[in-house]
Amino acid sequence: MIHVQGLTKRFDDLVAVDDVSFDVAAGQVFGLLGPNGAGKTTTLRVLATLLRADGGRATIAGHDVQREPEAVRRAIGVVNGGMGLYDRLTGREVLHYFGELYGMRRAAIERRVEELDGLLDLAGTLDKRTGEFSTGMKQKIVVARAVLHDPPVLFFDEATSGLDVMARRAVLDFSRRYPGEARAVVWSTHVMSEVEELCDSVAVLFRGRVVADDTVAGLKEAAEAPDLEQAFFTLVRRSGLAQGQEVAA
Amino acid sequence: MRWSFVRRIAAKEILSTLRDHRAIVSNLIIPLLLLPVIMLGLPLLLGGLFQREATTVTELAVQGVEHLPPDLAAAIEAQAAVLVAVDDAESAVRGDAYPAGLIVAPGFADAIAAGGRAEVVIVVKEANLRAELNAGKLRSAVDAYRRGVVAERLVDAGIDPAVLEPVAVSTLDASTEAERSSGQLAWLIPFFIAIWTLTGGQMTAIDATAGEKERGTLEVLLVTPVRRGEVVFGKFLAVVLFGLSAALMAIVGFVLGGTVLRRLFLPLIGEQGGEMAAMMGGSLTITPTTIALLVVSSVLMAAVVAALLMSVTLFARSFKEAQTYVAPMSFLLIVPAIALQFKDLIGTGSFAYWIPVYNVMILMDDAVKGAARLAPILTTWGVMAALIAVLLAFAYVNFKREDVLFRT
Repeated sequence: MIHVQGLTKRFDDLVAVDDVSFDVAAGQVFGLLGPNGAGKTTTLRVLATLLRADGGRATIAGHDVQREPEAVRRAIGVVNGGMGLYDRLTGREVLHYFGELYGMRRAAIERRVEELDGLLDLAGTLDKRTGEFSTGMKQKIVVARAVLHDPPVLFFDEATSGLDVMARRAVLDFSRRYPGEARAVVWSTHVMSEVEELCDSVAVLFRGRVVADDTVAGLKEAAEAPDLEQAFFTLVRRSGLAQGQEVAA
Repeated sequence: MRWSFVRRIAAKEILSTLRDHRAIVSNLIIPLLLLPVIMLGLPLLLGGLFQREATTVTELAVQGVEHLPPDLAAAIEAQAAVLVAVDDAESAVRGDAYPAGLIVAPGFADAIAAGGRAEVVIVVKEANLRAELNAGKLRSAVDAYRRGVVAERLVDAGIDPAVLEPVAVSTLDASTEAERSSGQLAWLIPFFIAIWTLTGGQMTAIDATAGEKERGTLEVLLVTPVRRGEVVFGKFLAVVLFGLSAALMAIVGFVLGGTVLRRLFLPLIGEQGGEMAAMMGGSLTITPTTIALLVVSSVLMAAVVAALLMSVTLFARSFKEAQTYVAPMSFLLIVPAIALQFKDLIGTGSFAYWIPVYNVMILMDDAVKGAARLAPILTTWGVMAALIAVLLAFAYVNFKREDVLFRT
C-alpha cells in the first residue's frame, strides 16, 4: 500500500529526512517512532505531497507522490495533533466542506456522516460550532474529516497529544480497527506505549534516518531489551547517530 | 481551474466571515454610517457653531473707548457685540477675559473729524477660532466705518466714490455643473473607497491565510485534492467581496449622506455650514454612469487590494503578525489619495492613468465630476487588470512555496 525508497528531504543545510525507506502492506498499522526533530512529520508531509522530496521515491496506493500528487491526496487522510478546525463552522459544516473538496456529493457526505457517527459517536459535535468544542470533541471531528472519503491510507501524526484518557483511547481503538484488510495506517509518535499497543511493524527514526525497521517484538529481540523504550535507546546508540548527544541506557 | 472548488472555497470563507461579528461591524456597518455622520455631522456642527457665534451677543474689550466715534461704536454693536471699557485690552484678551478687543488711539475721533488719519488695533489670539470669529466682527465693523468715512470725504470734495474702483472685477466659474456640485473635498470619495476596500478585505484575507496557518487548517486543506490555484482564487474572491461590500457601503453612505444633507439639513445650518456641505460634495448629483464607473473602479481597487493582502498575509505565521504586515499597506492608499488632493497642481496628463491605484482614484474623481473620458478609463482598467494578474500570480507562487507555507 505504501512504498518508500531512499526518501530524502533537505532544508538548506539540514537533512531532515535522510535516505528513508519502508513498506506498509494493506491491513497494517505501521509506526514511525522517534523523538521530536527525528523527521517523522517531514516524512509524512512528503508522503502527503505537501513537501517535495529532494531524493528517493514514494508511492501510495500505487500513485507516485511526486508525479501524481492529486491521486495521492485522494488516497490519504491526515490526522494531526494540532486539531485545526474552523471555529465558526459547525462540525457538520466542516465535514461537508471537506467532503465537497474530496468531490463527494452532499447526499453521499450525509450518509458517510451517519456512518461515522456510529463509529466515532459524533453526537453533540455536528450542529455546534467547533470553537465551542472540548479537545476530545475536536479530535472526533478531525478524525471524521480525515476518513470522510474512506481513504485507503491514513496518517496519524502525534494524534493523541493533548487528549484526555477517554479521547485518547477512542482514537487508539479507531486506528486499530481502521485498516481492516484493505487499508493501511501510519502512526507517527514519540510515545512508546502507543507503538507497542498499535503497530504491526515500526521504523525507528533518529536525526532523519531509519535506525531500525521491524516488528515491535523483532526490535526488542534485536536490541536484547525487555521493552520498546530500552530497545529504542539501544538501537539509537548502536546506530552511532547519537554522538554528541546523551542517550539513556 | 475547477469552478466548483473555487466556489466552495470562497463560500466557506464568506460564511466564516459573516459569522464574525467584528468583521460585519467593520465591513458593513461602520462604512455605511461613517460617511453620513461626517457629511452631516461636521457641517451641522460647524455651521451651528459659526451661526451661534455670529448671533450671540459678545462682550468685546475696548481700550480708549472715549476716543471711539459714535458711528464706529454703533457699527461694532450692530455686529452683536457689547463694548466694555478696559484699561489694557491686550492683557484682557491674553487673560481670556474677552475673546477680542480694540485699542483706540487717543484723538481718534478728532483726527477723523479733521479729515486726518487715525489708528485702531484689533487685539486677538489668532490661533483661537472663537477669538478669530469675534475679531471678524470688529474687522467688518471697522472696515464698514472706514469705507463710510472715505465715501463721505470724497463726496465733500466733489468726487464720485466710484473713482476708487476704476476696474470692476468679477469671477465667472467655468466649472461644469457636476464639477461645481462635487465640491472641493470630492477627493474623499476615492480615498474612502480605497481605505474601505483595505479595511473590509483585511480580516477575511488574514483569516484565510495566516489564520489558516495558525490554526493548522491550511495543511489539512492542502492535502485534499483541491489545487493551489483554486485555493488562491477562492480565497481571493471572498476577500474581494468583503472589500467591495465595505467600499459599496461607503458609497451608499456617501450618497445617502449627501442626499439627506441637501434635502433636509442645508436650510437649517446657515450659510457657512452650507458652504462646508458644498465643499464636501453635499450637492453632488450622482448619475447612473457615475455609479457604474465608481462600481467598476471599486471592483478593480478591491481586487488589487485583495491580491496584495493575500500575497502579504500568507508570509505571516499568525493572525497578529499578519496585522502588522497589513498596517503599512494603508500608506500605499493614503499617499495616492494625498496626491489626488493636489492633482490640479501636480497635473494629470495621460501618464497619471498608468500609475496603479492613483489612476483609479483620479478616475473616480473624474467620474464624480462628470469628467471621465474613454481613453483614461480603458488605460486605468487595463493597468489595474494587469496588476491584479501579477499579484495573483505572486500569491499563487507563494502558496506553492514550502518555506512560506511551513514557516515557523
